[in-house]
Amino acid sequence: MISSVSFLSLPFVNFFDNAMASSSCCVKSWPIVAFATAEARSSWMEQPRPSYLNSSCSSPYDILGIPVGASNQEIKAAYRRLARVCQTDVAAIDRKNLSADEFMKIHAAYSTLSDPNMCANYDWSLFWRQQQ
Amino acid sequence: MVEPAYTVTSDSETTGEEKSSTFPEIAIGIDIGTSQCSVAVWNGSQVELLKNTRNQKIMKSYVTFKDNIPSGGVSSQLSHEDEMLSGATIFNMKRLIGRVDTDPVVHACKNLPFLVQTLDIGVRPFIAALVNNMWRSTTPEEVLAIFLVELRAMAEAQLKRRIRNVVLTVPVSFSRFQLTRIERACAMAGLHVLRLMPEPTAVALLYGQQQQQTSHENMGSGTEKIALIFSMGAGYCDVAVTATAGGVSQIKALAGSTIGGEDLLQNMMHHLLPNSENLFKNHGVKEIKQMGLLRVATQDAIRQLSSQTIVQVDVDLGDGLKICKAVNREEFEEVNRKVFEKCESLIIQCLQDAKVEVEEVNDVIIVGGCSYIPRVKNLVTNVCKGKELYKGMNPLEAAVCGAAVEGAIASGVNDPFGNLDLLTIQATPLAIGIRADGNKFVPVIPRDTTMPARKELVFTTTHDNQTEALILVYEGEGEKAEENHLLGYFKIMGIPAAPKGVPEINVCMDIDAANVLRVLAGVVMPGSRQPAIPVMEVRMPTVDDGHGWCAEALNRTYGATLDLVTLQKKA
Repeated sequence: MISSVSFLSLPFVNFFDNAMASSSCCVKSWPIVAFATAEARSSWMEQPRPSYLNSSCSSPYDILGIPVGASNQEIKAAYRRLARVCQTDVAAIDRKNLSADEFMKIHAAYSTLSDPNMCANYDWSLFWRQQQ
Repeated sequence: MVEPAYTVTSDSETTGEEKSSTFPEIAIGIDIGTSQCSVAVWNGSQVELLKNTRNQKIMKSYVTFKDNIPSGGVSSQLSHEDEMLSGATIFNMKRLIGRVDTDPVVHACKNLPFLVQTLDIGVRPFIAALVNNMWRSTTPEEVLAIFLVELRAMAEAQLKRRIRNVVLTVPVSFSRFQLTRIERACAMAGLHVLRLMPEPTAVALLYGQQQQQTSHENMGSGTEKIALIFSMGAGYCDVAVTATAGGVSQIKALAGSTIGGEDLLQNMMHHLLPNSENLFKNHGVKEIKQMGLLRVATQDAIRQLSSQTIVQVDVDLGDGLKICKAVNREEFEEVNRKVFEKCESLIIQCLQDAKVEVEEVNDVIIVGGCSYIPRVKNLVTNVCKGKELYKGMNPLEAAVCGAAVEGAIASGVNDPFGNLDLLTIQATPLAIGIRADGNKFVPVIPRDTTMPARKELVFTTTHDNQTEALILVYEGEGEKAEENHLLGYFKIMGIPAAPKGVPEINVCMDIDAANVLRVLAGVVMPGSRQPAIPVMEVRMPTVDDGHGWCAEALNRTYGATLDLVTLQKKA
């Protein structure tokens, strides 16, 4: 049974979701494929995914602002570009926690896509969903 | 007893300071090595190393307490190297800081001229300097603070402005407790720590800047370069594997160990005089002098063996004790075989953790004082399949230059030419977790996790109707809990009574952008959406002293009554 209470969804995430809508560093939107419940998704994954990714409907590709099936080099370039924007060492004090949460999402997306096994599973589950 | 003439600034001075300067206060970079130190600052277009009044960029890391007025290696000049070994001078402070008296590194320092005593019960070692025939006690933090005061005075004199903010380099293997001691010493010296950077991470930042300047690539794109960074000084050996492109350096893996030139020296001293530990045990004036003579002679021999293959050691220790021996390089390497093997294993482990093959490495960077030792160069080259070593850095200056660059970035300096458009994505050097599953160390945040980080694990009770749980937070790599550094502890109380294995105890660890660690713990009963009791949030480390003793006392007091086990996830 997956715990229904998680510290990974701290209140800041909600604030970030609002801030992101108006932020100049908002990731580009791509066509979003609807997902079912977290339980349904977890059956495809070999490893449990961070639950805060479940709380938003963004896919790792959306978070990084790249098309589905992007090459490894494109994934890395996107990761670096967003890391610069979000994890600047000179982030203002009031933005520090925002930057940290934001960066963790970006890094989690990058980790998913740069791990060959997880990426293949993710792409396959996406393909399967599109057949519905 | 006459009180020392110096004044150590109190903590309160570091807060509430009036900002009088209209320019950004640029943080300086400081690299206090176990034996040498240096200071650097971004001067507007490049990194500049600061010099003391004797025009030295590299200074020795020591504080001498002779004449009752302590002075450090920044401003004072010992009349002869022997004077450092008279018992009045304390060095190797970086090796002693934040350690307990059961630590083998502390015991190795007993062979030094100043006094190190241990009770072997997990408390701080006793440290003293011989001043006017009297042993005067001190602490590594105090010695380091005195030294930092001099560094600060030197920097302020040369830059002609007040210095408050610093970026310091630290060994990869430093625990969070040791980091707090470093920060404490800085606070005593009136300095505010912006960042504590693992030494190879500072080198990676400098490397990233060099790549940026060389290629003028577009931001966030361009060819990725993998660098292996090996750093070995007098006290520590550190390794990092980094991926760099477009000014962004990602630390993929870190590895570190407390081995360095000091170990090579001690092994060699023991080789030249096998019974030295017993001979010097009394720490009398005569024995101290003998220790010093042996140390100087051995140091000279090791230094010469970097450029020649055989060296003659001739030293008269008095009392009819003479050493007259030819030592060749192979002998030196054999005596220190275990040290070199450990260095090699660190490199291999780091490459494995980074999931990088040797063939993928573009640049092999070797820095630190021991990088001049032929065997050290050879072992790095051998692991890297004979790849040529990177030539773009001064081995003794790379870490402090990287710290200065970080100081400029963290201070908000904007460089119009883009030389500071850099970012280092850092990684945790050590795993952080709790004691569970019967005295095992269960990592919640694994080693080499990208920072900032937030990870959680779910645990459960081990006894029917268990209503309390003891959370012991450790940092390290050992499999058993006690093999690691105890960071802190707290109790979860009020767990609803239930058969063992039913309550879900969620332990989350969060490292924020400022490298502050918080541990959160909450209890959820199956089927419920709300925590059963208020969530606890504890900033770590909480154990301030005696953490060696503390772990044993907690174990003796509570045994396994408040233990937890990892909750196995159901499909």
